[in-house]
Amino acid sequence: MIGKLLLVDDEADFLDVLSEFLSGEGCKVSTALNAQEAFLLLSRETFDLLLSDINMPGMKGFELIKEARRLYPALKCALITAYDVRDYLYMAKHYNIGNIITKTTPFNFDEVLLLVNNILSGDVFGLDHYMHGAIRRTMVRGSNDIDGVIQGIVAEMPDLRHKRKFRQALNEIIVNAVYYGAKHERGDSKESWPLEVTLAPEEEILVEWGADDEKVGVAVCDQKGVLTKEEVLFWLERNASKDDNGMSVGLLDEHGKGLFISRETIDRFIVNIKRGEKTEIVMLNYKEGLYDGYRPLWIQEL
Amino acid sequence: MDIANILLVSFDDPTLSEQLASHGYTPVAVPDVPSMLDAKVPFGLVLISQEAVGDAGAEDMERLYFASNGAPIAVYVNEPSAISPGLKRVLDEGTLERVYRHEVENGLATSRIDRMYLSSGLDAAVRAYRQREEDKELLGKELKLRNLVLEHERELGTDITGSITSGLVVLDVSGKIFLINEYARRLLRLSMGEMLGEPYRRVFPEKVSRFVENALKRAAGPWKRHEIKKITVDESVLEVVSYRMNDGAHNATGLLMLINDVTDQENTTAQLFRSEKLATVGTMLSGISHELRNPLSIISARSQMALKKTEWDREWAVKAFESIDTQVNRCAAILNSLLDYTRYKAVQQALHRVDEVLDETLTHVEYRSIFDEIRVERNYQAGLVVFGDRSRFIQIFLNVILNAADAMSGKGVLRLTTSSEETSTVLVEIHDTGCGIGVAAKDRIFDPFFTTKEPGKGAGLGLAVAYKIVQDSGGEIWCSSAPGDTSFFVRLPSGKRKVYDRKTAAG
Repeated sequence: MIGKLLLVDDEADFLDVLSEFLSGEGCKVSTALNAQEAFLLLSRETFDLLLSDINMPGMKGFELIKEARRLYPALKCALITAYDVRDYLYMAKHYNIGNIITKTTPFNFDEVLLLVNNILSGDVFGLDHYMHGAIRRTMVRGSNDIDGVIQGIVAEMPDLRHKRKFRQALNEIIVNAVYYGAKHERGDSKESWPLEVTLAPEEEILVEWGADDEKVGVAVCDQKGVLTKEEVLFWLERNASKDDNGMSVGLLDEHGKGLFISRETIDRFIVNIKRGEKTEIVMLNYKEGLYDGYRPLWIQEL
Repeated sequence: MDIANILLVSFDDPTLSEQLASHGYTPVAVPDVPSMLDAKVPFGLVLISQEAVGDAGAEDMERLYFASNGAPIAVYVNEPSAISPGLKRVLDEGTLERVYRHEVENGLATSRIDRMYLSSGLDAAVRAYRQREEDKELLGKELKLRNLVLEHERELGTDITGSITSGLVVLDVSGKIFLINEYARRLLRLSMGEMLGEPYRRVFPEKVSRFVENALKRAAGPWKRHEIKKITVDESVLEVVSYRMNDGAHNATGLLMLINDVTDQENTTAQLFRSEKLATVGTMLSGISHELRNPLSIISARSQMALKKTEWDREWAVKAFESIDTQVNRCAAILNSLLDYTRYKAVQQALHRVDEVLDETLTHVEYRSIFDEIRVERNYQAGLVVFGDRSRFIQIFLNVILNAADAMSGKGVLRLTTSSEETSTVLVEIHDTGCGIGVAAKDRIFDPFFTTKEPGKGAGLGLAVAYKIVQDSGGEIWCSSAPGDTSFFVRLPSGKRKVYDRKTAAG
């Protein structure tokens, strides 16, 4: 994948090593130490992707992207930070930004490359984009399939960390895919959801799973594409912000919590959306001790 | 008491007796003063001849007095012009208190004992006597009553001083104990013995004595009204307040002391300040872990790149390792800044550049999302240094800056200005464009627990802590505020004098 990248960060050292890496992967990389330099470069040549640090002296990453989007509507944009993405969910919602990469230790070159590739190519669906090993697949054809599918997946992942949480998140995501994604049940009236649902062939849910040296992964994909990036950001932000008593604002909400809790308990929670066609949620869990740091925000709406 | 008996002393005039008798009096005649004592009947008046008084010496007068047994004494004078020099002297000197001038001059002191005169004169004398007897009785009753009231008041006083849960001590100006209540004895760990009238020095614990000594000294002066001090006695912290007692002319009449046990209060306050300190450490810790993430990811990225490389050219390797080295040093510096801060027990007094301290403070908070839309302007005067504990300075600025960020709700301009008004002080102005401080809040903004933030957003200790540290550092902190234009000023002792002192000491 070849693309023209503009990296912006006030850490010259970081710019240097990241551009060395991305150049080695075939990208054409330019760097800027601040927003001013970035705008100068943007005015001179056309870039495919602007990847900017958030916290810089002068104009911060969010405003930089807002302004760059206004000037160059075709430019794709993402942020990168060493800090806690949860602190930025409000800004992400406000500026409608779906991608915030995190600087982890060890530094996760694969992830950065994957995200850059995803954004540039728009080719994001399928667990094989995120895993190296063999991928197994099954279809969920109704509510009665859900438990069995989850049992099967978990049974095949003996080394899974935080098994209970993973299972809970998986259940949340598949149930949502069946009822909300495929059947368009209203999220705020869960108590009236029918206990048993059978899905038509064009409503079936694809579940993929696999494991490689570093991680295990599951992808759940519906065929409707109802969810939007804005909605995901709305629910994530709502549940991340605290009220005066330190309780989550979304604590008593009937729905929307599943997304947030799943994102909190799973190492990588990736949402891929093609409006009106499909919604895919990819969950990756790393093996112990890998990539300490904060979880990236990874929502791709095509 | 109605006694019509009149004692006639040294008269040989029978007509006088008759005249008196005709007026309803019973005259009893005795030849001289000594024989007055022999009179067998009580009498209401002593009537004595001028000659007898005029000749009387001081001794005789005493005797007359004694013998009159409290009855009024009237001197009989034949005519006013005939008042003898002896009697005149007695009247003038007033030694003979019971000679009724009135009676002598207007009543009895006539050449002829006129009926009317005699009557009025004697009646008046007797009336006066009776009145006095009644007065005496009344006075006796009143005295009794007063004693009762006094006793009651004394008991009430004891009840009051004994009931209050504060130690109460009153000393006279010489430092003798005039009053001390039970509670004071307990607080000062004193025995139960009598100590009224004892000098305080002999009774009080030494530390308290020292305080009293100073307070007494100052109470002698005209202005100082009260002193307050916290004194530790046997692990208890006592707050001793002394008031100078005045008379109506504002002369010191003694010292009144109130003593309270504030141990719990002190502990709570200390704990609160400690917990605020911990909160600051928490803020810094999360700041530091954020700060570390950057260099660590660079080091990680560099080494991963190096490991992937099959062939190294020297230029590339030098660049990579220089970078790793730089980032490792950066990590170490970040860790040191936390260590410096937590090593607060041994307060490290040293010279610090103000701009460096302010910048370091900013690194602890700037990563926070609330600073995303806050522009920081630095307006530093070069070369300003302050002397003191770096971590404490950071704590001051951290609290004020976080407060400013809150006031701006994360949007606005934070301007840090340093200047030097005079060589001995450095002034730091922290200006924000936030909502400002209301007039009512202004007076209380440095009070512990005062907060205008919504519940749960802050304990309200930040500025109180800043205030305390500034005070401890010998500086000042104050603010001026209007909506969109609020400044906190921190004046700190400059390090310049210290440098000078050191140089001269070394030289």
